[in-house]
Amino acid sequence: MSVKFGSKIRWIGLVAILLSLFTQPTLAADDALSPLPKGEYLLTVTRPGSTLNVIDTNTDVIERQCDIGVAPGPGTVITSPDNSIAYVLTNRFSDVYGVLLDSCEVVFSTQQSQGNVRVKSMASLVLSPDGKTLYTHQNRVQILNDRYQLLPTVIAEFPTDGGLNTPARRTMLAPRQITILDRLDNGTLILGGQDIFLMDPVSGDYSVLIKSLNHEDSQFAPRDVLTVWPMSSNNHEFTRLYSTAKWLGEAGDLDNAEWLWGYERVDLATGDASSPIFGPLEVALFSGTTRPQHRNEMYGVLNFLKVFDINTKKELRSVAVDHSYYTLAFTADGEKLYLLGADADVAVYDPDTLELHKVIPLPGDGSLANGVIVKR
Amino acid sequence: MKHLKPLNQKARQLDGSTTTAEVDEVVAMQTVVQCTATTDPGWEIDMFGSVSGLCQPMESDLYGCSDPCWWPAQVPDTMNTYPNWTDNAPSAAKDWRNLESIYPTDDSKS
Repeated sequence: MSVKFGSKIRWIGLVAILLSLFTQPTLAADDALSPLPKGEYLLTVTRPGSTLNVIDTNTDVIERQCDIGVAPGPGTVITSPDNSIAYVLTNRFSDVYGVLLDSCEVVFSTQQSQGNVRVKSMASLVLSPDGKTLYTHQNRVQILNDRYQLLPTVIAEFPTDGGLNTPARRTMLAPRQITILDRLDNGTLILGGQDIFLMDPVSGDYSVLIKSLNHEDSQFAPRDVLTVWPMSSNNHEFTRLYSTAKWLGEAGDLDNAEWLWGYERVDLATGDASSPIFGPLEVALFSGTTRPQHRNEMYGVLNFLKVFDINTKKELRSVAVDHSYYTLAFTADGEKLYLLGADADVAVYDPDTLELHKVIPLPGDGSLANGVIVKR
Repeated sequence: MKHLKPLNQKARQLDGSTTTAEVDEVVAMQTVVQCTATTDPGWEIDMFGSVSGLCQPMESDLYGCSDPCWWPAQVPDTMNTYPNWTDNAPSAAKDWRNLESIYPTDDSKS
């Protein structure tokens, strides 16, 4: 009796195992292969590893997570012109990975380091307007037996149809200390570093567009810029904050100065550049951007979320946030504001009231990752 | 030192590499080629000489600073030498107890 009973259990167990073999992979495959529904999404990359989180901005829930399968850092993401592929700079600042949003499949990657030349890129990647060429800024060091030899920094060019482990097709000498890239609609590259440069991607010629560290105005202190987050998915403009001091007496007298926030702006359609002051500096802000449909409103964040009227240079609203957030992103209509980076969540705010609507937990820290809004 | 004479090529290079009149070329480095191995972040002040403007809590800022070697003297060099230091701590605020001290090993060479 006991043998028969045991045999029955074994049969039941075998059937259960067979059922699970047939059902679980099917569910997983369906899950992985289902195209991303039409809608608007926030993309941001977090730990563990490099997880690309795809958040539906209608429901504010995570629609899917793509594990790229490499180490984290920095997690800077941009998208192809048709928003089908997310390109993520990660794996300890080493390479860019192209992830199909419909399937989470990694269809492209760079092989930046070659031989004994180790390459790191900070948050500097951008696509050509047609999406066929990827550019990165490369910090290169040659590892020799007895020393490290710093090499000139370059802009590297990769064909995005190159598949996995694509080497650079071409490099162009570039300034040092470039941390972010962007591009005008005509393809001219924008290099953000100590100053803002424009580079012709054909000739490799570059020139200064906006002087930041090297700003020459005896009335103001040199600008201080923290520039790790590309922001142009918000308003189709390159923006980065700077802090400065306006000397009220002697130049350099910090006790007699007016501390100010400003931002450097490049219109991606026209290339027009400006760097207006937008308000008083009372707290540290890590990044900021203007609000879609409300271009006179500048939003900045770190331990406070603050809104300034650019025209009047007055603070409009301010609220303390639950923990530090490095950066922010708006929905295309400007009606929802997402705070992200640093810790392991995304906070959803009403930009009109700065009321916190929701906190979306993430599987790990966002660290330096940016947030990109895409429509599908 | 005047009694020491270089005997091989490397020693001759070292001997001739610097003089008091020579001004070394300084090259700005974006990425740190090697960091050191102490973990004690937070030794800094904000732009007003205080700490209230620093990231809060400190753990929320840990990876944002350690990933790009922002604190090269205070955390392991995860960019190059110890890339797996944070593997067991996806959230610094929740998992910081899993961030271990690191020690040089033969296989930790980059």
